Order: sequence, then C-alpha cells, then structure tokens
Amino acid sequence: MSNILVELSNSMAAATEKAAVSTVLVNGRRRMPASGIAFAPDLILTADHVVEQEDGITILLPDGTQAAAKLAGRDPGSDLAVLRLDGGKERLTPAEPAREARIGQLVLALGRPTDAGIEASLGVVSAMGGPLRTPHGSIDKYIRTDATPYPGFSGGPLVDAEGQVVGVNTSGFGRGVVLTIPAEVAWKVAEQLARSGSVKRGYLGVRSEAVELPDSAQKDLNRKQATGLLLVSVERKSPAEAGKLIVGDILVGIDGQPVPDHDALFAHLTGDVVGKSVPMEVLRGGKPQVFMVEVGARP
Amino acid sequence: MNATALLNAALDELLERVRPVLALVSNGRHGTGAGVLAGDGLMVTNLHVVGRARSVKVLLDDDTSYDARVIASDPNVDLALLQIPANGHVGAVFSNSTPRPGELVYAFGHPWGQRNVLTGGVLSAVTSLRGRHSELAVLRADVQLAPGNSGGPLLNATGEVIGLNAMIFGGDQSVAIPASLIQSFLAGARKEKQEAVL
Repeated sequence: MSNILVELSNSMAAATEKAAVSTVLVNGRRRMPASGIAFAPDLILTADHVVEQEDGITILLPDGTQAAAKLAGRDPGSDLAVLRLDGGKERLTPAEPAREARIGQLVLALGRPTDAGIEASLGVVSAMGGPLRTPHGSIDKYIRTDATPYPGFSGGPLVDAEGQVVGVNTSGFGRGVVLTIPAEVAWKVAEQLARSGSVKRGYLGVRSEAVELPDSAQKDLNRKQATGLLLVSVERKSPAEAGKLIVGDILVGIDGQPVPDHDALFAHLTGDVVGKSVPMEVLRGGKPQVFMVEVGARP
Repeated sequence: MNATALLNAALDELLERVRPVLALVSNGRHGTGAGVLAGDGLMVTNLHVVGRARSVKVLLDDDTSYDARVIASDPNVDLALLQIPANGHVGAVFSNSTPRPGELVYAFGHPWGQRNVLTGGVLSAVTSLRGRHSELAVLRADVQLAPGNSGGPLLNATGEVIGLNAMIFGGDQSVAIPASLIQSFLAGARKEKQEAVL
C-alpha cells in the first residue's frame, strides 16, 4: 500500500541514506567518538570540542573502512574544526549544504557514534537567532531544533528532507544546550580553516550603537537605509583611529555594502578582510564620506 | 487537501487499522503493559510485563477481557507468548522489510495506563545491546515512551509491526525487539505447541 505517510517515511529514510554517505565517525578524543561531515574529498568538518588531539585521529568512513587524519584547523569561537585525511587520500563524498533554514521545517539530526551504522532523530527547526556569544568567541547565526541529540552526535549534520545539510550540531557551547551552526556559516568557516588553519576576526577598535537615519541622510546616501551605527568611542592607536574615523561618525556602509546594525558589522569583519584596506562609508555632519580603514586582527 | 491534511487522514487510517491488534496486559501485581495479537488467539508481549505469572488478564480493543495463559517465554529476547481462549481476532502484520534509519515509526501502547496512545518519531538506529551472555539485536527510535508502552508495537508507516517496545532510556529513547526476532520466537513457540497437541 502506498499513501502520503509511506511516501514521507520513504523520503525521510532516503534523506538519511543520502546524508549518511557523507557522515563519518570521528575518533579525536579518548573513549567518546563523535561525528563529522565530509566537506571535501579529503576534508572533514566536525565540532572543535570533540577533537582533543592534533594527529592520530581516526575516522570511520561510511563504507566501514578506517582512515587516519590530522587537524587542519580549528576555530573554538564557532566550535568548528577541519580534519584532513592523511596521505592526500581523497576518499570522501562531500555533503551538499542546504538553502537557508525555515522555522517549522522538518529536519533530521544524524550521527555516526558507533560502527553499527548511521543514527537519526526527527525534529523541526524550532528557532533561529544570532549573533551569539560563545565561551571562546561568537557565532553570527545559530539554529535550534527539537530533534533528539544522541550522545556522539556533535559534529554531525542536521539535514533537510532532501538530505542536504542545514547545519552542524554541537553541544560544545556548554550548559547542556545543543545548537546547530547553519551550513552557510559552517562552510565559510571550514573553507578558511582548510586554507589557513584558523579564522581571522577583524577588529576596528570602536564602540557603536544603532541609530535611526533621518530621511535627508538617506536621500544623500541615495538608498533606503533606516539605521546606521553611531561611533560612541574610538580607541587610541586602533585601526579606526588610523583610518581617521572619529566619535560622532555614523557608520553606514563597508566595502559598498550597507551596515544597518551590529550583525552586519560582525559579518563584514569576519574572514578575508583582516589586513586589508576597506572603504568605510560614514555620515559626518549629516553628509556621506568614505574613509579607507585597514582592518586589524582581533587580539 | 494540503499535505498536512493528507498526512493526518493517512494517520487516522493507520490508527483504525492497528487498533484491533493492540491489547492491554496486566499481571495483577504491578502496572500494566501492552500486547500484540498474532493470530490464532496468540498474543506476544514482553516477558517483563508478564513477570513470573502463569496467566495474566488481557483487555482487547473491543473491551472484551480474557485470562490468558503464558505458553512460552524467552528471557534472552524479553518475549512472552500468551494464549487467549478466543479465536477470530485479526493478527498484526509483522514486517519482513529491513528497517531503515530515518523512516517514520509509531509506538502504540498504554503509557501510564492511558489506553491506545500513538507517539511518532523516526527509527534512530539498527544496533545491538550487550547483554550478560550475548549481544541482542535491537531497534532504537526517538518516540516518546512511558511505562505501559512495554510489549506494544513499534509500527512503520504502512502499519506493519517492526518491533516490540521493550525499554526506555532517559525518557527520550526507546529500544524495541526487532520483528525478525519476534517472528523466530513465534515460529519456535508455534512448533512446540503443535508438537504438544500431537
């Protein structure tokens, strides 16, 4: 017999099987295996807190074979780490990241904590939020789900009904809370970790608060932007001071992109921007001006 | 109808179909569990629901109740077979298909004594438990269970029995004895029964 219930069941099982091909067991600490996601043919994305050693890490691949791996890079701030298979072996089937999550959508949390096969639990996307302060830094966005996080699920994927990865599950932010780092954030971090071993976070040396922009200022900017960031202090000898920003400026854009709030500022200060000279658009005395600021690295 | 309404209709239909095979089992001493009719007046449940009793009370979905004899049991798989003095009741369909992690599953039982409660989730893992003497193949699911679910069926989306709910760990994780073990237990018990009759 076939009805919509059976169809749904089959598609959930198929999504599990599809994502299982890219979900590995990560043995990176004593006695407590966790999970990981194939990110490239030789790279595994996992949770930072489950990797307590830099080499001699063993990976159980979906086909049941073992492989050795080393730490390629870690970012405790987002609790993400990237492992590289030893000897340039390209044996993994990379997972596919999903489009942005929606509250209420069906998801499966997957893990491979034992050699008995893939494990799954069902839930929905319960909430999305961010930025969030974490014990060692911050993440721009997070997802919460009511799917049961079984032991060893950290580093494993939260997948949608098509088996694409919505995010990376981790219990590493403490207080017994399990969060999911959205795929768009995790993939960006993973790419940087694979390239340079760490995530550089930008630093300007300003304190700011969001303020409304008057209509006249929006007219001068030639765009609709309701808010900007008023600089309430500029640290001495900071990148912002060197770039001639002063207290009272309203930061409205970075590198041609609008900066309406702190989230946008965070987003523009993460990644490849560190060490580069970037045009910063401010309102000074109500008029738009652009200053070149060399973004520093957060100490 | 949208997809959610279709799903609800399909679930109603599934529930109507499986209701007649679910029984309430009480051994008169502690609490109650569930049992699954298996045809020919036979009913399978967990041995820990029956305990040491030689006969137990069973209450069927049509509110008829019987004294059921315990005619076989196997502590290694926590299964017991009951015989009720009535025929003509429909038996459950035990699944022959391989369980797939991620597939939809429903636990049907009497949590905290409340009759005919269906809880849903997915099959979490096809794994094994290390017992004192041997490894026991089990299914794990993320369905909500409570005392009273023991001996009740874990169903797949077609309404077939894929396992018998047997244990609860930490409230959010169920362990079920897989249908393959139930079927070999049933086959063994039926054979013995036949031999006894001859």
